[in-house]
Order: sequence, then C-alpha cells, then structure tokens
Amino acid sequence: MITGARTTTRIAYAAAGALLLVVGAQLIGQFELAGKAWPPLTDVLAYVATPSGSSLIQRNLLVTLGAAGQGFVIGSAVALLGATAALLVPILRPGLDRFAAILNAVPTIALAPLLITTAGREGTPAVIAALSVGFVMFVATTSGFAATSAPQQDLLTVFGASRRRRLALLELPRSVPAFVDGLTLAAPAAILGATIGEWFGAPQGIGLLLVSAMQNYQMALLWAAALAATLASLVAYLLLVQMQRVAVRRFS
Amino acid sequence: MPSTLSRPAPERAVAPGAPPRSAVSISGADKVFTLSRGRTLQALDAVDLQITEGEFVAIIGPSGCGKSTVLRLAAGLDTPTNGTVEIFGAAPRTLAAQHRLGVAFQEHALLPWASVRENIALPYRVAGRRVDDARVDELIELVGLGGFEKARPKQLSGGMRQRVSIARALVLSPDLLLLDEPFGALDAVTRRKMNAELARIWAEERITTILVTHDVDEALILADRVVVMSGRPGHVRTVVDVDFPRPRGPETTRSPEFHALVDRLTALLDAPEPM
Amino acid sequence: MSRLRAVGAGALHLWPVALVLVLWDLWVVLNGYTATVAPRPWDVIADVVDGFGDYLPYTAYTLGMSLGGLVGGTIVGFVGAVLVWWSAALSGVVTPAALVIRSVPITAMIPIIARVVGYGDPAVLASTVLICFFPAFVFTLSALTAIPDSGRDLFRVLGAGRAQLLGRYGVLHALPSLMVSVRITAPTAVLSAMLAEFLMGANGLGALFSRARSYMDMERAWGTALVATVVSVVVFILARLLERRVADRVS
Ligand SMILES: Nc1ncnc2c1ncn2[C@@H]1O[C@H](COP(=O)(O)OP(=O)(O)OP(=O)(O)O)[C@@H](O)[C@H]1O
Ligand SMILES: [Mg+2]
Repeated sequence: MITGARTTTRIAYAAAGALLLVVGAQLIGQFELAGKAWPPLTDVLAYVATPSGSSLIQRNLLVTLGAAGQGFVIGSAVALLGATAALLVPILRPGLDRFAAILNAVPTIALAPLLITTAGREGTPAVIAALSVGFVMFVATTSGFAATSAPQQDLLTVFGASRRRRLALLELPRSVPAFVDGLTLAAPAAILGATIGEWFGAPQGIGLLLVSAMQNYQMALLWAAALAATLASLVAYLLLVQMQRVAVRRFS
Repeated sequence: MPSTLSRPAPERAVAPGAPPRSAVSISGADKVFTLSRGRTLQALDAVDLQITEGEFVAIIGPSGCGKSTVLRLAAGLDTPTNGTVEIFGAAPRTLAAQHRLGVAFQEHALLPWASVRENIALPYRVAGRRVDDARVDELIELVGLGGFEKARPKQLSGGMRQRVSIARALVLSPDLLLLDEPFGALDAVTRRKMNAELARIWAEERITTILVTHDVDEALILADRVVVMSGRPGHVRTVVDVDFPRPRGPETTRSPEFHALVDRLTALLDAPEPM
Repeated sequence: MSRLRAVGAGALHLWPVALVLVLWDLWVVLNGYTATVAPRPWDVIADVVDGFGDYLPYTAYTLGMSLGGLVGGTIVGFVGAVLVWWSAALSGVVTPAALVIRSVPITAMIPIIARVVGYGDPAVLASTVLICFFPAFVFTLSALTAIPDSGRDLFRVLGAGRAQLLGRYGVLHALPSLMVSVRITAPTAVLSAMLAEFLMGANGLGALFSRARSYMDMERAWGTALVATVVSVVVFILARLLERRVADRVS
C-alpha cells in the first residue's frame, strides 16, 4: 500500500518535472528571455511537423544512429576481448589498465586528424563512436573482472579450478553487471562520438546538421536536431538501464 | 518472579520518600513492519515494559526476537503500530530533542571521517554546547582507548569501535541510556572489564539504562531486572529480578545463587515455551 | 633505491604508449604518407617542442576554461543538489529533469550555447560549466538520498535537525560521490572546451586545431591533438588523485 502510494507520488513528481522543463523552455522562447536563439518549443515542433523538416531530421538521424550502432557493437566487442586478454595475461595488466585510463581521457576531437586520414570523412563518425565506446567498455569490464571478491577466488582455488574454469565460472558472470553498467554509459557515448565525427566534414548526419544550422542561424532546425539527438541518446540509455536491471537481478 | 536474594537499600539519586518516577513506559506495543509487495511481518506482540528512573534493565532473547526493535521504540526511532511508548512522561522524541538520550547502536555508526576524539565529542557539537575536553578524555580513558584519540574508525578493530560508540553514548551523561549489544565484539576479558566500568558509571550516575545482550552473565552482573524475550512475534516471556549485592565482583559471579540464576535464564532462552 | 625502482616499473607499464608511437611511425612510413597527409610522431613532437611558445597561450586558455568549468560546474551542482535535497518534493521534480538534460549530447548543447550566449569566452566557459554541472548535481543528490539509515538514526537520537544532519554528515558523506563526478567529468570538460573552441574558433587548442587544419599544417594539427591529449590526461590524473585523497580521508 505505502510503496504503491510512493510510486504514484514519484511518478507525479517526475511528470511535474517534465512539465516544468517543457513549459519553462516554451516560456523562455515565447518571451525571448534568452534572445532569438531560443525559439519557443512550439516553433520547433511546428518545424518538425513540416514534411521537409521531418524528412531532413529523420534522414540524418538514421545516418547518425547507424554510425553510432556500428561503433557501439564494434567498440564493445573489442573492449571485451581486450579486457579478457588483460585478465588472462597478468603481465600485460598494469600497462593495459594505465593505458585504458589514458585512453579514457583522450579528447575524442584529438583523434580526428588521424581518422580523417585513415577512415575518411564518411567512416570517421563510426570509428570515433567505436573508440568512445571502447574506452568506456574497457574500463567497465576490467573493473568488473576486478570485482570478484578474494573469498570467491580462494574458494575456486581450493577446489582446484583452472584459470579457464575460473574465468568461465567466476569472472565472466561476475563482470556482467559492470559490463552492462558500462553499456548504459556507452550508448550515449556512441551517439556523442558519432556526432563529433560528423563535425569534421561528414556528408550527412545530425552532427553536421547541428553545425550547419548554427552557422546559418536556422534556430528551429538547430533545436530540432538537438532534440532528436537528445531523444536518441535518452532512449538508448533507458533501454540499456532496463537491460541492466535484468542483469543485476540475474547475476548478483 | 521475585528472587529470594536480598540486596542493600538502593542509593537512588531521587529524594528520599518520593515515589520513583517512571522513566520508560511501553504498554501493549505491537510492531508490524510492511515488507515489499504488501507482505507484513509482526516483530512485536503486546510488549509491556515499565522502567523506573535509575533502574538498569537487561533484555535477553534469541536473535530476531525483537530486542533491537524495543530499543528503537524507546529511542523514538520507530513508533509502535499499536500501544504507547512514553519516556519520562513524554513522547520519546522529546528526550532526543533535549539531548538527554544516549544510544550505542548494534552497528556502531561512527563517522568515518572523524577521529575517535571527534566522534566522542559529536553529541556536544550537535547539542550546540562547548566540548568538555576533560570529559571526553575521561571517557577515552574509561573505554581504554588512550593513545587512539587521533585514530579514525577504519584504523580500529570492531571491538574498539564499539567502545567508541559507548563512550559517545555516555559523554553527555544522558538521562536514558540505550545499549544494543555494546560488548558483542569484545573478548571475554575485555568484556568483563567493560562490564565493571559500566557498573561503576551506573553506580555513580544512576542513568536509567536498557541493555540488550546475548550474554546471560553480563545481564546478571549489571541489571536490576532481566527481561527475557521470545520470538515470532517478539514478546516478553518473563521478567526476573536480580537482587545480588553491588558491586558484583567475582565473589558474586562465583556464588551458587548466581550460577543457579544463569542456568535458569539459559534454560528459558533454550526451551520452547509451554503453549 | 626502491623509489627509483618503483618509478622504473611505472615507466615500464607505459609500454602501450610507446607501442602506439612505434605503430604510428610504422604506419606512416609503410604507407609512404607525406607530411601533409600524416606526419611522423617525431616530427610532431619536434613541432611541439620548437613551437612551445606558440602552443603555450592556447594550452593555458584551454586548461583555464576546463578547470574553471570543472570547478564552477561542480560547485554549482553540489550546492544545487544540497538545496534540492532539502525538499523531497523539489528533488522529486528536479531529478528527472536533470537526468533528461544530462543526456543532451554536448555536440548538441554547444551550438545552442554559442548562439544563446554569443561567440566568445563566456560561451566556452558556459559550455564547460553546464557540462560539469549535471553530473555533480546528480551524483551529489543520489548520495544525499542514500544517507545510510544508521547515520540518520544516530543524528535523530542525538536530537539533530535536518541542517545538522546535512552539515555534519550529509555533505561529507556525499563528498566521495562528488569526487567521482569530478573524475568522470574532468576529461569531458577538456573535450567540451575544445569542441566549443573548435566551433567558435577564437582561442584555445580547439581553435588552434581548427586553424591548422584549414591551413593543411598537419604537424601543427597533430601537435595540437597531442598537447590536448596530454592536457586531458593530466587533468584526469589530477582529478583521480584528488578523488583518492578525498575517498581515503572521508571513509
Ligand atoms: N526495518 C525493518 N523492516 C522489516 N523487518 C524488520 C525491520 N527491523 C526489524 N525487522 C524484523 O523484526 C524482527 C526483530 O528484529 P530485531 O532487530 O528487533 O531483532 P533482535 O532481537 O535485535 O535480533 P538480534 O539479536 O539478531 O540483533 C526480525 O524478524 C527482523 O527481521
Ligand atoms: Mg538486534
């Protein structure tokens, strides 16, 4: 009973918060409190509702999502392999850990010149997305492997489990929550990485749209593109949070 | 269940002739916890506990029988589902608000960033009073932590942390002292030493005290009365008066009467209740 | 002696960095790239060393903007979370909104800030502040709502009010979470400062990079990337050091 009532108030609060956000943004635009660069939300929605507006956003969003999705899959897979290698070959471990920390701090924009040479302007968004995801996932997975407690390790050692068995019985399952935890961070990172990649002269994509709308003072388009990117990022995040709940229930 | 043992006239801090004031009055207290998905758990069933000022009461009982819950009711941390709880004739919250309550929790709840000294001085700070350094020093000595004033909780053993928490509970000379298994993590020797210290403080200050413990000897060394609780749901099974003369040194604990009472209480803890 | 050995071992563990440099050089040489396509690492390092004076003001600017945004955003986020925690209703209303705003990609946020605030230093600083604000806010608030029951009980039996619980317990209890947010956002602060500079092109490593790229000065462009990486890594390491210090002191 009480918990039910609590959930209801929580949802009511969240709805109030969402409403506040939307109404606030609308009013700021309406009264030009932040100047002309902040249009009323209704203008943005009206723009999205026009056939040309909606098709422009949709087309570019799909391109960005494609690049982000590719990067997400490749980045996670490579990070998982790398972290497993680091676990199995202990001598590599301190070096790789340190390298992961450094990689995590590399501003992705700094990779752009390298990528434009290697991946080309069209490939860059997916590669930056993959790198961003890879950094996040490598750190998450290694910390997941480290999360197995000493008593558990001791238990398996006492039972005479081999290194491979230990990996299969203990470290892989135990690292699932941390891995999925990482995925919730990696999904928005993939979208961010893809849009950064698109800033460097990609022919299509939300990132390109954002820059060109800004430079040409197309405020409705700029806001519509920003909203689309935010929604994509939010939806990806929420989907993975759901997955994380399942994983946590199952593996910890 | 009055014991036949005699004891000397109590030297209460109360004016002679005045009827002893009620300190803790728990009447018909039920406690029902709401668990997830609407399930409920009855932790206490019609618990009655009357304690007069200056009395030392020990509560013993098997794990999970609701001892801590009784203490939480007295501290005003929980309210009973049915029944009433009054502390010195007022709601339990009043005592805490006046900084007259001392509690040592089962899980010591020390501030991890504060030193032993700062942890013990915390009640002064919360009450907005000037820290009485001499009093803090005295308590540090009392609980045997001299030399560890500057140590932080993570540098202490479990038993040392418990002792800090006892010192913190005592520092303001509270009117009501609630101790939840305060000596649980101590070895037998230190435990008896701390028992003796607590008995001494109590003899000096006559703080109304409720002590939850699993150690029957400890209860009998310290308490005027021992409340035996049983579980599922928790209720008071018996109350035993303890009339051994104080101070209760080794002569007392070695006496056959003492052993008889220990055996009786231990049997009460073990045996199922007659239906 | 053991100190020397520790430093030596620490340097040895940097082998992946050395590996990257070697692979980079091999890649340039084997593909026969000219300096306008991809410069060799040694040339880039030489450019940074020779042009130290050229890089310095830009680097200082980016570092200042990142640290300013990091400190400013963290403080504002912390204070905001403390204020919001005061009222359960307010935190219920604000938290979901903060989560939504937190998922705005910085690539979408910066162009809007640039237009709303106007090109220039305030826009760069506003970007970094805003980007550091939300994590600090969310982390602090969730730590405050997760104050352990034992701590709450302790302060209740001591007769403490909400202000005392916050001042003597909540703030310190939330500090490690705040430091986690600082560590997480530190590289993002550098990244967003650079993205803002890149977009608006007035000052900082982002602008230097943008300019070098348009002049096809590849050594300078790669050099900027290298310096930016070093700046970001240094900021990150400092943040991590601070986090460990604080966590060690507070728990
Ligand atoms: N906050 C709570 N929510 C739900 N159930 C609770 C809560 N607190 C206590 N209980 C339940 O109430 C019963 C009594 O708990 P209590 O902590 O009072 O036992 P106890 O006698 O102190 O045990 P122990 O000697 O192990 O400390 C237990 O069954 C416990 O599960
Ligand atoms: Mg208990």
